[in-house]
Amino acid sequence: MPQVPVQTIHRDPQLFYWILIPITIVMILTGILRHYATVLMAVTPKKQDLPTIREQRSLLRAINLRMNANAISTPSFNARKDYMVTALENGAFLKEPDKKGQAAPNPMTDPAAMEGMMGMMKGNMAMIIPQTLIMGWINAFFSGFVIIRLPFPLTIKFKSMLQAGVATKDMDPQWMSSISWYVLCIFGLQSVFNYLLGSDNAASQMAQQMGQMGPGAAPQMFGPGVDAYKQYQAEAENIAVLDHQYTLEGVENRLLQSVKV
Amino acid sequence: MLSERELQISPIVQDSVMHNTKTLTTLHNLTASLFGVGAGILGLESYSGFIFYIIFTLLTSALVYGLRVRPAGVQNGKGGIERYFQGSMELWTGGLVDGLSGFVLTWTLFYGLVRA
Repeated sequence: MPQVPVQTIHRDPQLFYWILIPITIVMILTGILRHYATVLMAVTPKKQDLPTIREQRSLLRAINLRMNANAISTPSFNARKDYMVTALENGAFLKEPDKKGQAAPNPMTDPAAMEGMMGMMKGNMAMIIPQTLIMGWINAFFSGFVIIRLPFPLTIKFKSMLQAGVATKDMDPQWMSSISWYVLCIFGLQSVFNYLLGSDNAASQMAQQMGQMGPGAAPQMFGPGVDAYKQYQAEAENIAVLDHQYTLEGVENRLLQSVKV
Repeated sequence: MLSERELQISPIVQDSVMHNTKTLTTLHNLTASLFGVGAGILGLESYSGFIFYIIFTLLTSALVYGLRVRPAGVQNGKGGIERYFQGSMELWTGGLVDGLSGFVLTWTLFYGLVRA
């Protein structure tokens, strides 16, 4: 195998003090700032009136009954099932029992709904603004510097990714520009944040983006514009068709089997 | 795979599973960064660096297995993996993916600093 001579580029050691280290420190500090901004901006949920709480909690109660059905005996499960299914289908727990079956109000007109959207907007802003600012900052001050060399070889495809802002045709794709160092920092600093802020932190942009995809998949439970009566009916059906098996059935035999004489 | 009835008798508590996974991920994230520092200072390049990473991550997993998982298994009289994790792959290979980006970052940084 012919040995390709390794490209060497003489770089000023000052590059490290004035580009590499500042970018890294700024990335870490922005992550910490974003974490605390998210913590501070978290709105405490507004106090709700009694019928609203009852509407939400009785749905939760039905769900809990379904999830933990196996922990109670069959007669007591049947009694609870009959009660919950009737009450849910009548809409006895609804906030406004007369209005059941009507279309949900437009979420835009509901002030409570607007507040929820504002919260989401704030979360997005906390992510987008620092990202834009730092990208602009790096572009304004540090664009066009080749600062570091990756310790492993890459194919030519990575050249446009790693040498953003440096248009030199023959340079080895191992060399990285300052913008690429920024991108590498985004991916790699998660462990630093884990160490500094605990593993539930909101510092990483990657985690934020994952989180936005996650809750989008699950339907919102008590969101504005969701018809509670429809949820009740669906849950009543779930409970009604549940195949109930008592966990403690035959427990004495299992216990005797586990005892070795 | 456990049947539904066996799951009811000895349930898997989701909180505990998440706690175990999170502890392991944190450990791997942290050690991966430190391995990156080591690989950078040693000046390893290309394959040898990645092999360094794989060997030391597996060593970390082996230490976790030997010091924590295995003794608990011996006490119970069966393999310890089932006690803490859903499968043995979670312990052995999960860490390799978790820490890779952190490893590349610190490896590059310290390689650049040492070989400037």
